[in-house]
Amino acid sequence: MANKMIEVEHLKKNYGEKEILKDISETVDKGQVISIIGPSGAGKSTFLRCLNVLETPTAGKVIFEGKDLTHIDEKELDELREKMGMVFQNFNLFPNMNVIENVKLAPMKVKGVSDAQATKTAIHLLKKVGLEQIANQYPTSLSGGQQQRVAIARALAMDPEVMLFDEPTSALDPEMVGEVLKTMHDLADSGMTMVIVTHEMGFAREVSDQIWFMADGYVKEVGTPEEIFDHPQTERAKEFLSKVL
Amino acid sequence: MQKYKLTKFILILTLLVTPILGIFNSKSVHAADEKTKTVATGSIMKKIKKSGQLVVGTSADYPPLEFTKTRNGKTQYVGVDMELAKDIAKDLHVKLVVKNMSFDSLLVALETGKVDMVISAMSPTAERKQSVAFSKIYYRAKGDYFLVNKKDAKKYTTIASLKGKNVGAQTGSIQYNEIKKQMPDSTVKGLGKVNNLVLALQSGKDSALVLEELTAKAYQNNNKNLVAIKSNLKTSQTGNAIAMAKGQPDLVKAVNKTIDRVQKEDLINKKYLPAAAKEMQTANKQSTMLAYWNYFLKGVWYTIVITIFSVLIGIILGTLLALMRLSKNPILHWIAVCYIEFIRGTPQMVQILFVYFGIGYLISNMSALLAGIIAIGLNSGAYVAEDIRSGINSLPKGQSEAARSLGLSRSKTYRYVIIPQAIKNIWPALGNEFITLVKDSSLVSVIGVGELMYETQLVQTSTYKGVLPLFIAMIIYFILTFSLTRLLNHFEKRMKTNG
Repeated sequence: MANKMIEVEHLKKNYGEKEILKDISETVDKGQVISIIGPSGAGKSTFLRCLNVLETPTAGKVIFEGKDLTHIDEKELDELREKMGMVFQNFNLFPNMNVIENVKLAPMKVKGVSDAQATKTAIHLLKKVGLEQIANQYPTSLSGGQQQRVAIARALAMDPEVMLFDEPTSALDPEMVGEVLKTMHDLADSGMTMVIVTHEMGFAREVSDQIWFMADGYVKEVGTPEEIFDHPQTERAKEFLSKVL
Repeated sequence: MQKYKLTKFILILTLLVTPILGIFNSKSVHAADEKTKTVATGSIMKKIKKSGQLVVGTSADYPPLEFTKTRNGKTQYVGVDMELAKDIAKDLHVKLVVKNMSFDSLLVALETGKVDMVISAMSPTAERKQSVAFSKIYYRAKGDYFLVNKKDAKKYTTIASLKGKNVGAQTGSIQYNEIKKQMPDSTVKGLGKVNNLVLALQSGKDSALVLEELTAKAYQNNNKNLVAIKSNLKTSQTGNAIAMAKGQPDLVKAVNKTIDRVQKEDLINKKYLPAAAKEMQTANKQSTMLAYWNYFLKGVWYTIVITIFSVLIGIILGTLLALMRLSKNPILHWIAVCYIEFIRGTPQMVQILFVYFGIGYLISNMSALLAGIIAIGLNSGAYVAEDIRSGINSLPKGQSEAARSLGLSRSKTYRYVIIPQAIKNIWPALGNEFITLVKDSSLVSVIGVGELMYETQLVQTSTYKGVLPLFIAMIIYFILTFSLTRLLNHFEKRMKTNG
């Protein structure tokens, strides 16, 4: 098998008394596209946010590039986060900058790339997501689908090793979902390692190498799309899939 | 939970405040002792000789003894006491520098080394002698006068006639204490400046003022609505002497030598009084407001300078405090909380006096202007911090998460993503803060900074007019704040169009 990208060992996350993630140990391999599905409240988003330590795990390890992200100093964490792009449900574009400035910010301020080089990369990426014509507009004037594609381009500008998607289409109007999924599909085809929390079952089935079914703070089942969608093993997965499919 | 938080809060507050209080309880008193001791080793005389200048403090609102006048656009301090100051400086072979401040600040200024001596028609009372040393008496006033409105000239002529009335005098003056002792049926009203007293008299707040003869007559001669009447107060006036820091025998000796010469040559009657009278006549001649435009101009200039620098301090300090308060480090957090609460919980006037006399005491040579800017900037910082904090808190969490997920460090996230957006959100609140600051800058007139309010008071003293200069000052302040509002609105609109 290909080399390991992210290893999660006995990950736990509590909010006060409440246990959100109970005990998760899984591995993301290089080049793999993984979709995490499951009922709401299962801890899918929390799990994803633990991978780049936006949430600090209560216990357990997240190993990326040989380092446990839960036990390194902030400077090292910042450096490793550069290599983990993240796309949010609410896009989170910076409203004080226009589209191209959003894409250029991190390469210039974190990596110290020159303005000219960053502009070149940004235009290339915006072309890739089909938005080079709106490079000078501000986020508030864009549709949700356009904003999310800019957010993807912004994450890609750091040339990440892996991309984390946290319900990227959940906040979109139905007619915008397609354009974002297409962009993600292209990205998957290009060989990018991806971890996607999603409710788009059709898309998950089509694009994923592996499906993780999460419920009640555990990863209950792991398998290929066919295994999970056509022959779920656990009662919990059967029940969930009967409702959504 | 809530209760625990409160207890913790009080505990930390006490822990932080106690050492501060401790320092000022023990250290400032000790420092004061030490300073007077070092001063006592003759350093003031040396200091005067070394710097080549004699710094004299006065409250220049007491014609003909000390008052201001404009010559070629420059404010000059003139009068009997200033003539004497010139002769002392001449005998010491140094240059004379006059610092003008309110009468009740003079002795503090002397004790804290802001001035070398005070020449301000001051009587050497037993109380004052406890904290400062005095020269020989150089001038003995003939007695106290009532200054009353012309329409009351027949009504208020004696102590008895002022029964149940308000009688004004300069706070901290001999006359003030005389009223308290000898006029138990009248209410004494103290103000720091004579021009404000005259204003109180003319507006009917006070029925009479008690002033020293020469001053009362000066106002009578220069304001046709006022009359000076010899009072039946028993004067406790021991005469006027020059105040100096304690333990300066050589300085006192030198000053006394000059006083001896002045008395021998009868300079007060022959030279000083005529000179003062002449200045007062010229002052009277140009008492249209237009002749004083340069006072107001200078005041506006200083007000703008104070505002600009205080705003800068306020923004930098405010941003820093806001970040400290939001910081995860509990020490930084609590320092910021204590600072903000303390500044917001104490009067700005007290803060200004504290910075000038308290902190200025530890750092010598701090000018009143600098002290004023620092005091207002420190105050503004606390309010700006709270504005910025609320601006930061109002931003969605996703903004900083998105930035951090891209690898931006905490500080870069603040710098490029959070602060620019927060500033935009709080721009109206910040604008209000800066307009308040323009107005609050008038408070630094108490420590003698030549900003608009201070210059207005100078115009009041020079013109013997109370209300008109205040009205002009009000209009100027309004023009300043109104222009600032328009400017801020303009920027607000521009920021809005930028998405």
